[in-house]
Amino acid sequence: MRLYEFEGKQLFGRFNIPIQLSKMAKTADQVFEAVSQMDAPVILKSQVLTGGRGKAGGIKVAGGANEAKTTAKDLLKLTIKGYPVSSILIEPALNIKQEYYLGVTIDRANYKVVIIASGEGGVDIEETAAKNPRWIHRLSIDIADELYTFDALGLAKQIGIPQELLKEGARIIQQLYKLFKAYDAKLVEINPLVLTNDGKLIAADSRVSLDDDAIFRHPDLKDMAIQDRHEEGEMTPRERQANEWGIPYLDLDGNIGMFPGGAGFGIMGNDFIHYYGGKPANFMDSGGGPSPERIANMLVLLDENPNVKAIFGARFGGISRCDDFAKGVIMFLKEHGLSKPMVMRMTGNMWEEGVRLFEDEKKANPDLFKNIEAHGIETPIEDISKRAVELAQQAEGGK
Amino acid sequence: MAILVNKDSKVMVQGITGGAGKFHSERMIVYGTNIVGGVTPGKGGQEVHHRPVFDTVAECVEATGANVSVIFLPPQFVKEAAIEAIRAGIKFLVVIPEHIPIHDMLHVRREAVAHGATVIGGNTAGIISPGQANLGIMPDIAFSPGRVGTVSRSGSITYYVADTLTRSGYGESTCVGLGGDPVLGSTFDEILWKFEEDADTKAVVMCGEIGGVYEERACERIGQMKTPVLAMIGGMFAPPGKRMGHAGAIVEGKMGTAKEKLDALAQAGAHPCKTFNDIPEVLKKLGV
Repeated sequence: MRLYEFEGKQLFGRFNIPIQLSKMAKTADQVFEAVSQMDAPVILKSQVLTGGRGKAGGIKVAGGANEAKTTAKDLLKLTIKGYPVSSILIEPALNIKQEYYLGVTIDRANYKVVIIASGEGGVDIEETAAKNPRWIHRLSIDIADELYTFDALGLAKQIGIPQELLKEGARIIQQLYKLFKAYDAKLVEINPLVLTNDGKLIAADSRVSLDDDAIFRHPDLKDMAIQDRHEEGEMTPRERQANEWGIPYLDLDGNIGMFPGGAGFGIMGNDFIHYYGGKPANFMDSGGGPSPERIANMLVLLDENPNVKAIFGARFGGISRCDDFAKGVIMFLKEHGLSKPMVMRMTGNMWEEGVRLFEDEKKANPDLFKNIEAHGIETPIEDISKRAVELAQQAEGGK
Repeated sequence: MAILVNKDSKVMVQGITGGAGKFHSERMIVYGTNIVGGVTPGKGGQEVHHRPVFDTVAECVEATGANVSVIFLPPQFVKEAAIEAIRAGIKFLVVIPEHIPIHDMLHVRREAVAHGATVIGGNTAGIISPGQANLGIMPDIAFSPGRVGTVSRSGSITYYVADTLTRSGYGESTCVGLGGDPVLGSTFDEILWKFEEDADTKAVVMCGEIGGVYEERACERIGQMKTPVLAMIGGMFAPPGKRMGHAGAIVEGKMGTAKEKLDALAQAGAHPCKTFNDIPEVLKKLGV
């Protein structure tokens, strides 16, 4: 979960990492009022949950309140990578002598926390890393260890922080590491850490990403309303609906509705459809042990999607139970009805009970099942994939 | 005849009195797994499925000789439970729950390395050595004893691969679920090497997926192995995934696309497979 720049800076403030006094505004009038009380020039920074704001025109300098108001009007009309700008952070413009980069993240392959620092901070840091790896300095730390001052001093020296600010630079690095650990962060970045002409170090931007699975440990973050946050830009209406139902779902541009089990085969099943000449209309993941209601909702999403011409269903029950799966399908058939052809395979945990539920319901209401071709473990999933592609082609041909 | 777990393993369940713990313990016992007891703090002295329940892992190990543990607990309790088990001498730990805080798993991994223990998961379906022991939530129907090992990040993919190996007559020596969480207790290369050292595993099928860093780490290992490795990667046609800031890109390099991962594995000597049906064909060509 990403934090906005101003939220990240609030956390910096709590850890005594130097930031500027700033103001937030949501309208051009608020910007005017805020800038009237500040020393010009000021910098107006669009608050969006994505990088590349500067290059997208989301960061502007203004010489005074009137100019700031006009600029703010333009900024508030911007949409950056799918994120509409709805608030602006206002800070005094800095006199920049040098820009450094500081980051703390997890090196998953080696199970370490890694601190990254560079004397070449700013927007092109990744390019720097690729072209001049020797300008990037790293320090790997075991999560259970503290970051000692001598290590932090060494890093500060390597990136060229001036002698008189070495101790302050080291302190900032240590505080950043403490913040990273205290808030269960996946990533904490100061880019740039600015050395000003008057000899101060200031965190001019923040990038903070926290571990969603650890938010429960940080009730003090509730005021940031971070539970409503979606990290991937704008959602389609169906993605929003799926999100409300708690179903991981992505719209794709094909015509085969994918109704798989867990994420693993959710991903690979899409590949199979491609191998056999079809294109999936979506990615979906039922999650472990889905309830019948959730199963029914998954089918509602697909049946109501006009792009979907045929549905591919796969259930290999592990922690999920085939009887719950069958109940969900039957619930959907009764309450909603299936308007598209579906080929499906069901096996695994409690499959006998799942088959029995289907058979009983089919005897009572054969019409409900007229669009379904149901298979069990005897049919390889490759054959189910091929059949789904055929069904979609037939449906397109019959148009 | 198997790696990590076999018919002689003495298995305990942490969280045996909870809903999922109780349900799956029964399935494991019915399969023939040697479940010797369980742990739930505060419920020592009770019994579940005629197995004794203890307050601490140390008591359970003392009384039953348990050497393997399966964890069925809410994710926020996993860190303590896992470290408790490792410090009590458990050498193999299966972490079933998902959504474990990432920092917690770094601590767990550190303890495991320090004590010479192996952890798989979180978010794993578990591990099965067919005919001997089934730890976790895997459905018996897919599996049969045999000579091919599997290691996968996804539970459902494990079932499909095992189902394919079973119906084509190869069977499985052991099937390992690495887990789906971002930071895992074990990596592909570590599990592959255990298969390499197992005389009865004649080939290994490894199934990775788009994203993460663990497939790339396997390449060097595959080059050192005599046992052939077959590789599948999910997400060959997935839309580009999200990335994690500059630091993530600097540390992990370009996040592996499925195609890059499969190419790298093939380069290292693995035999790439597209669908499950390819697996028996490749095995046949290799003379397994």
